[in-house]
Amino acid sequence: MEETRMYLYFEATAALYTATVIAVLLCFAGIFTTLALWRKGKAKSLHHKLNSAAVARSFITDVVFQAQILKISFVRWLMHFCIFIGFMGLLAQTSLMAFISHFTSPGSFLAQSFFHGGGARVLDVWGDVFGLTMLFGLAIAIIRRYVVKAKQLETITKDTTSLVLLTAIGLTGFLCEAFRLMDPQYADVAWYSFAGMALSQLLQSAGITSANYIVWVWVHAVISFIFIALIPSSKAWHIFVSPIEIVLDASERA
Amino acid sequence: MDNENKDTMNETEVRQESAASAPEAAPAPAAQSAGSAQGPAPKLPIEKLSARQLLELDACTRCGECSNWCPAYDQDGREPLTPRGRATQFRDIIRRQYGAFSAESFLGRLLGKKQVTSQELSDFAKDLYACSTCMQCHFVCPVAIDTVELWERIRECIVDTGFGPLPTQQDLVLKTKNYDNPWGQPRSSRARWGKVAKKKKRINEVPKDISKDKAEVLYFVGCTASYDTNVEEVGINTVNIFEEAGVDYGILGNKEKCCGSVLLRMGDAASFKRICTENIEQFNALGIKTLVTSCAGCLKTIKEDYARHGKLNFEIKHTLEYVIDLIKAGRLKLTQPLNMKVTYHDPCHLGRHAGIFDAPRELLALIPGIEFVEMERNRENSRCCGAGGGLKSGYPDMQNQISQKRVADALATGATELVSACPFCYQGLQIGIQAMDAPIKMRDITELVCMAMGLAPATHDDTQDTDE
Repeated sequence: MEETRMYLYFEATAALYTATVIAVLLCFAGIFTTLALWRKGKAKSLHHKLNSAAVARSFITDVVFQAQILKISFVRWLMHFCIFIGFMGLLAQTSLMAFISHFTSPGSFLAQSFFHGGGARVLDVWGDVFGLTMLFGLAIAIIRRYVVKAKQLETITKDTTSLVLLTAIGLTGFLCEAFRLMDPQYADVAWYSFAGMALSQLLQSAGITSANYIVWVWVHAVISFIFIALIPSSKAWHIFVSPIEIVLDASERA
Repeated sequence: MDNENKDTMNETEVRQESAASAPEAAPAPAAQSAGSAQGPAPKLPIEKLSARQLLELDACTRCGECSNWCPAYDQDGREPLTPRGRATQFRDIIRRQYGAFSAESFLGRLLGKKQVTSQELSDFAKDLYACSTCMQCHFVCPVAIDTVELWERIRECIVDTGFGPLPTQQDLVLKTKNYDNPWGQPRSSRARWGKVAKKKKRINEVPKDISKDKAEVLYFVGCTASYDTNVEEVGINTVNIFEEAGVDYGILGNKEKCCGSVLLRMGDAASFKRICTENIEQFNALGIKTLVTSCAGCLKTIKEDYARHGKLNFEIKHTLEYVIDLIKAGRLKLTQPLNMKVTYHDPCHLGRHAGIFDAPRELLALIPGIEFVEMERNRENSRCCGAGGGLKSGYPDMQNQISQKRVADALATGATELVSACPFCYQGLQIGIQAMDAPIKMRDITELVCMAMGLAPATHDDTQDTDE
C-alpha cells in the first residue's frame, strides 16, 4: 500500500511528491545557473567593509516595510506590501505544514494540534488572511498595469506570467478551501476560513456543489509547482535578489 | 595639428579653436559597428563587472520608477533608453552569450536561441551612451541599484569590444588621452587664463606654481575652467577670494592634468587608471593639506574614484565648502548686500554623487540680501543639466533640450539668477538659457561670494556668446 502523509486536509501521494521534487529541482537548476553566471563577474563587489548595522537597519525599513516605495507612492506601497506579505505568509504556512508533516510524529503535540486541534484553526485564519492580502495586492497590480495602464509600466511576458501565476495560486487556493468546506464534517469550524466559507456559500448558491476537492488541490499544486520551477527565471526572482542589493547598497553608503 | 604647433599659437587662436573643437559641436552619428552588422557580436568581457553588478540586473523589478525621472528618456521617450530598458537589454545579451541557454549551448540550440549580433550590440551601445550618468535613477530606485557604477562598467565592456564610445565621444576620449584635457588644447596653454586675467587686471597676481613654491592648498582648476573662456571667471573669482582671505595656495599650472572623469564615464578604464595614478603621485608629492576644486566632476572623481586606486594624503574640498570654512574662521566677510532673487542648481556630481547638498545652501544663506528660492526639483531630485556622462558630446540636441527643461524649472521660481557650483553645469545650462533667450543670469557661486565681499566679480557676458 502506498505510504502517504497527512497534510492539512488531504493525504500527500507519491505523485505529489514527484511533482514537488521536479519543481524544486528545476528551481535549483535555475538558481545554480544564475549563480554560475554571477560568478563570472570578477570585479570587486564592495568597496567598503560590510556595515552590519546599516544592513540590519535597511533590512527592516526597506526590505520588510519597503519605506523606499512608500516615499514614492502609497498605492504602490500598498500593492507591493500586500503581495509581499501575502506571499511570505502563505509560504510560511505551507512550510510549517510540510515541516510538521515530515519532521514530527503523527502523535506529537504539534501534529495533533495543527492537523486536528486549535493549530488547524489558526492555519485556517492564517491562510485566508494572507491569501486575501496577496490577492488584494495583485488586484491593484493588475488594475495599474492593464486597466489604468500607468505610464511608467512597460509590460513584457515575464510581468504577465508572474501576475497570472500568483493570481491563479491565490484563487485556486480559495476554491480548494471553498470546495472542502462543502463537506458537512467541517460545518462547525468553517467560519475560521471566513473567506473560503463565503466563497463556498456563493458557489453553492450558484448551484455548484459537487466539485472534487482533491482535483482542485491538484490544480492549485500544479500551478504552484510551475511558479516554483520558474522562480529563478521569472519576475519572482526579485523577491529573493532585490533585498540583497538593498542591504548591500545601504552598507556601501553608510 | 600637432601638439607643438598648438603650443605656438597665439592666445586668440587658442581660444577660437577651443570653441571650434568643443566636444558638443558635432551631432551624434550612429555607433560604430565592429564586424558585419548581422554577424555574431564578440563576447562581452563580463569579468569586468562584479558579481553584485550581475546580480543587480536580476534585482531590477521593472517597476519603471526610473523612467519617471530619467532626463534622457524624458526627451527621447524610447523604452531602451530608460535604466530599466538598459538593464533588460544587457541582461538579455549576457544571458544569450553566457547563460545556460546561450546560443552556443546545447540547450540554447535546442530552443533555437539566437546569437547576439553586432547590430544588436551597436544599438545597445547607442542607448547606453545616451545617459548623463546623473544618478537620479539610483536615488529613486526602490531597490537602490547602483546604476551609474553599473553603466560605467558596462561601458567598459562595450569599449573593450570596440562598440563604444560613440564616434563623437571618441574625440573627447582621444583628446583627453593625448592632451590631458578633453578640449584638445595644448598643455602649455592650461595656465594661460591666469596670465590673461592678470593682463586684464581681473586678478592681482598670477597664482603661484605650487610645484615650485610649496603651499597648504592646491587649487585644482580643472579643464573646463582652464580652457573655456566662457567659464574662466570660475577660476578668476576663486583666485580673488583666496587672495582676499590670505589663503596659502598655489596651482599646478601647465602641469595640471585632467582628473580623468571623462575617461572613466566613457568606459576607458585603462586610460583613467593611468591618469589617476599619475595624478595621485603628483598630488601626494606636493605635501598639501587640502585640494580645493571648483568643479563638481573633478571633486567626485578625485574624492571617490581616486580613493579606489590609491591613498591620498590630503583632504579634498569643493570651493564652496572651503569658502564656508574661511567665513567661519573669520577670514572672509560677506558684507555687501546683493538684492537678488536666486535659485540654485545642484550639480549631479556634487549632490547625488558626493552628497553635498547643504553646503551651497548654507553659503547662499550667508550672503546678505539674497532671496533664495528652491526649484521644485532640488537636492536628491535635482534635474540634470544633461552635460555629463558624454551626453553633451554624443547627443547635443538632447542635452540642449534637457538644459532648457532645467532653465524652465529655474524660471518658474521667478529667480533672476541661476547659481551653480560646477563649470560643466555652467556650460550646460548656458546652452539652455541661450536657446530659450531666457531672462535669467547664469552664475557660479564664487561670483556671488566675490560680490558680497565687495570685490568686482569676474562675470560672463552672455551677449558675447555666438559660437554655441
